Amino acid sequence: MELHRLGVKFFASDPASIHLEDLIPVFHGWIQRQVIPGHVLIDVHDYSHIQNGPGILLVAHEGNFSLDMSDGRPGLFYYRKTPTALPATEHIAAIVKSAVQACALLEKDAKVAIKMDEGLVIANDRLEAPNDEATLAELKPAVAAALQQVFPGAAFNLSRANSDPKERLAITVQRV
Amino acid sequence: MPTWKEKLAGRMDPQIAEEVDVFETQIALRKAGKMDEKVFAETRLRRGCYGQRYDNGHRHDGVRTQQLEFPSDLTKGPETFWDAPGMQRIKIPFGGLNPDQLDTLAELAEEYSDGILHVTTRQDFQLHYVHIEDTPNIMRRLAAVGITTREACGNSVRNVTACPIAGVCRSESFDVTPYAKAAAKFMLGHPDAQGFGRKFKIAFSGCREEACGLTSLHDVGCIAATRSENGNEKRGFEVYVGGGLGAVPQQAKLMNDFVAEDELLPLIQSIGRVFARLGEKKNRAAARLKFLITKLGLDEFRRLVDEERKILPADSRWSSYIPDVARYQESPKHGPTHLNGQQRPEGFEKWHLTNVYRQRQEGYAAAAITLPLGDLTAAQARQVANLARRFTGDNLRTTVEQNILLRWVSEADLPDLYRELGRAGLGEPGAGTILDVVACPGTDTCKLGIASSRGLAGEIRSRLSERLFALDESVRNLHIKISGCFNSCGQHHIADLGFYGTSRTIANRKIPHFQVVLGGKWQDNAGAYGLAIGTVPSKRVPDVIDSITARYVRERKGTETFQAFIKRIGKQECRAMIEPFMEVPAYEKDRSIYSDWGDPREFTIGDMGVGECAGEVISVSQFDLADAERLVFDAQLQLEHENYTQADSLAYRAMTQAAMALVKTQFIDVGDNADVIVAEFRSRFFDTGLLGDRYAGNKFAEYLFRRHDSPPQEHTIDQAHRIIEEAQLFIEATYACHDSLAERGARGMVVAPVHSGKAAGKL
Ligand code: HEM
Ligand code: SF4
Repeated sequence: MELHRLGVKFFASDPASIHLEDLIPVFHGWIQRQVIPGHVLIDVHDYSHIQNGPGILLVAHEGNFSLDMSDGRPGLFYYRKTPTALPATEHIAAIVKSAVQACALLEKDAKVAIKMDEGLVIANDRLEAPNDEATLAELKPAVAAALQQVFPGAAFNLSRANSDPKERLAITVQRV
Repeated sequence: MPTWKEKLAGRMDPQIAEEVDVFETQIALRKAGKMDEKVFAETRLRRGCYGQRYDNGHRHDGVRTQQLEFPSDLTKGPETFWDAPGMQRIKIPFGGLNPDQLDTLAELAEEYSDGILHVTTRQDFQLHYVHIEDTPNIMRRLAAVGITTREACGNSVRNVTACPIAGVCRSESFDVTPYAKAAAKFMLGHPDAQGFGRKFKIAFSGCREEACGLTSLHDVGCIAATRSENGNEKRGFEVYVGGGLGAVPQQAKLMNDFVAEDELLPLIQSIGRVFARLGEKKNRAAARLKFLITKLGLDEFRRLVDEERKILPADSRWSSYIPDVARYQESPKHGPTHLNGQQRPEGFEKWHLTNVYRQRQEGYAAAAITLPLGDLTAAQARQVANLARRFTGDNLRTTVEQNILLRWVSEADLPDLYRELGRAGLGEPGAGTILDVVACPGTDTCKLGIASSRGLAGEIRSRLSERLFALDESVRNLHIKISGCFNSCGQHHIADLGFYGTSRTIANRKIPHFQVVLGGKWQDNAGAYGLAIGTVPSKRVPDVIDSITARYVRERKGTETFQAFIKRIGKQECRAMIEPFMEVPAYEKDRSIYSDWGDPREFTIGDMGVGECAGEVISVSQFDLADAERLVFDAQLQLEHENYTQADSLAYRAMTQAAMALVKTQFIDVGDNADVIVAEFRSRFFDTGLLGDRYAGNKFAEYLFRRHDSPPQEHTIDQAHRIIEEAQLFIEATYACHDSLAERGARGMVVAPVHSGKAAGKL
């Protein structure tokens, strides 16, 4: 599987405390300081007018970060769009790391706390990773190994988030 | 793992599939520095791939102008970095869409864009922040569901638009859908539509009085009309020409009051030919059809079009679709019913009032899905596709008001539909009202944007949504349209209250402003354009709207329209109305006015880039020559894979392609038959010595003649190698000849290209 298009989401601890518009200046500040390693941060896009949408988006050449509102569960989403030239596990680990970095920045600059004990990994490529058991079986070990790299010693439960073939393959990650 | 190309083979129209392969090769060639950036720019634009703000690597971050360090220095066109993600426009002829297509669009938004589908002011979709490398697969996945992005931008025939209620409308003469479809198909990639100096827009409307088709702002506007002949009803069109918005808006003029249905396509083709031949090519600002018509006068233009029509080589496609027109029918999912006694969910009445249109067909309704700022998420798009499957069958349309329309809803299903839309976050009322603000991309993504049209639209929406139904009815039904600059992509001229972005400098600081444009007319197919009365700071616009509309309610006489009211009180008074809002407080007192809606950075216009409303004007021949180069490149790939027969045939095709490029500078109708191309090339360029004046061109022409007259008996590595070398040299010679002709043309030594065999005799 040559899967470089992957997304990782961590959920906000206190959804009620989030005011999307407040994120706009924060993300502009990140672009000013180019604070996310390995990323060329380009633009901020306001999607707050859409229910359960991408909220406020921070666009980088390498992928999109957002304070995402999908499924009515706010959180930090990072979608990788470009390849990293790393092997599968390291590639996933790099994506998780970028998301974790963004979460830390969010907490520091916007006072939005993100929980690290629950997340979502989405294979954002219907060709390479159709939403079926076979792909799940193939992807799961790489995701588990990547999580081990980023959170050494922690144990996680991985389960398939939905089985609708039109949806993307998504894995719910729960810390145990 | 198969690629998308392999997986979808057989599901794509073979011609579109090949075009996408060609585009993928062009991407590779540009990446390898083997394709000129300007030719590549117009090539990608003609496939719908636009640039986006900051793709020139400059971005003002609120404090200083920052260089964005994209990974490579390669460009996609002048001042457009390769690595900067861009916009992909997806053409939806007449806005017609089925659920499977919507599902595919949703998938593409998720995988390659930002999860959002954006509906434009001309019934298209746009995806933003897309990498150019991903576009071939996007195009393939679209092709597999019957959508092409070809000619979505660039100097070409843009999306053909039509009233979204065509076919279900209560006041139309007849359903224009099949005609719009035929025109779109016929003009797509048509050789006569490749040499334009600017874009070319066609619209269809079912009647003259309503707004839906907006024909008067199009290059060619076709309004359904019928005539009785010998007791039979005959279908045709009133055809208007030379309309257009932009910095110098113009109403289309009536060119022909009845064009019979079978004469419609040849007429559009003839107009295209005249435009390609005589339209301005150098000065982009005067290159739309409207300028040519002004220059020539309508009568002379009509005469030239008529002349062109007479010499057009006949084409069976002009009328072959007409027998299908009568059969064209949309089939509803459920039988007709009435809204009677069903339980109505909360909010339904309001939604029903603004978003539901009773169809001509008893028992059916068309329901508008209000999309804030024209946006919906991929998940919402899938939900809409499912609702269409459940309630209406295949019948979806996008609208120029940036909404989606579900047609053929059986009326008793409306409450259920409303409930489901609400669950998807799409149940807002207010379609077509003052709340349903239309906005171009503006500074959000457009390189030419000056002020934030979407930011302002969002603000207006959120202020008015609470009080929509408390507003006086006369105000509730007004239209607001906003453009980020004078280019008017948001169609501000035809709104009751229009705004376009501009900037003013006060005490050395720039402040985002909007020009207030009043008096535009939405009805009568956008029957009148409004005029600017003055500028106000961006942050004052919502107050301006409140003030003007309050006065309208106060002083309205009887059923006076807003447009009539504006006319009655006069320019002076209009300006006086906005004057109190023009004042700009000192920076130290109120900084908020020095930044734009939704953008806390201090305002600057430093981010503006070179606009890609289209790329450079590239002649048909330049495209053909670039194509010839690509074919030699493909030949090399085949050689590498030891496919000598294919390598030979591609190299040969490259030579005929290059020869055709030159012939077309004199004889545009040469066609693609190799015998004809070679004969024409021989007599026009070889025998005359035209080719021979540089780089030993005539010698290289012998390569073409030899390969044409005696194809190889055997295909070997040496033969393939040799012919590739020869093809390369021949293409060099044709380039040199093309450039020298162009130089001489610039010095006034070459006449304009001759347009057809017959006309060539006359000139
Ligand atoms: C000098 C350059 C440009 C001119 C003169 C221009 C003009 C126009 C006009 C007049 C329309 C309006 C509607 C109509 O004719 O029916 C339009 C549509 C539009 N323009 Fe532009 N435009 C330019 C560049 C751009 C750029 C750079 C962007 C942003 C990337 C853009 C985005 C749009 C969009 C989204 C639409 C609606 C869409 C469609 O055809 O689907 N335009 N343009
Ligand atoms: S009106 Fe101006 S800002 Fe808006 S899309 Fe067109 S060119 Fe861009």
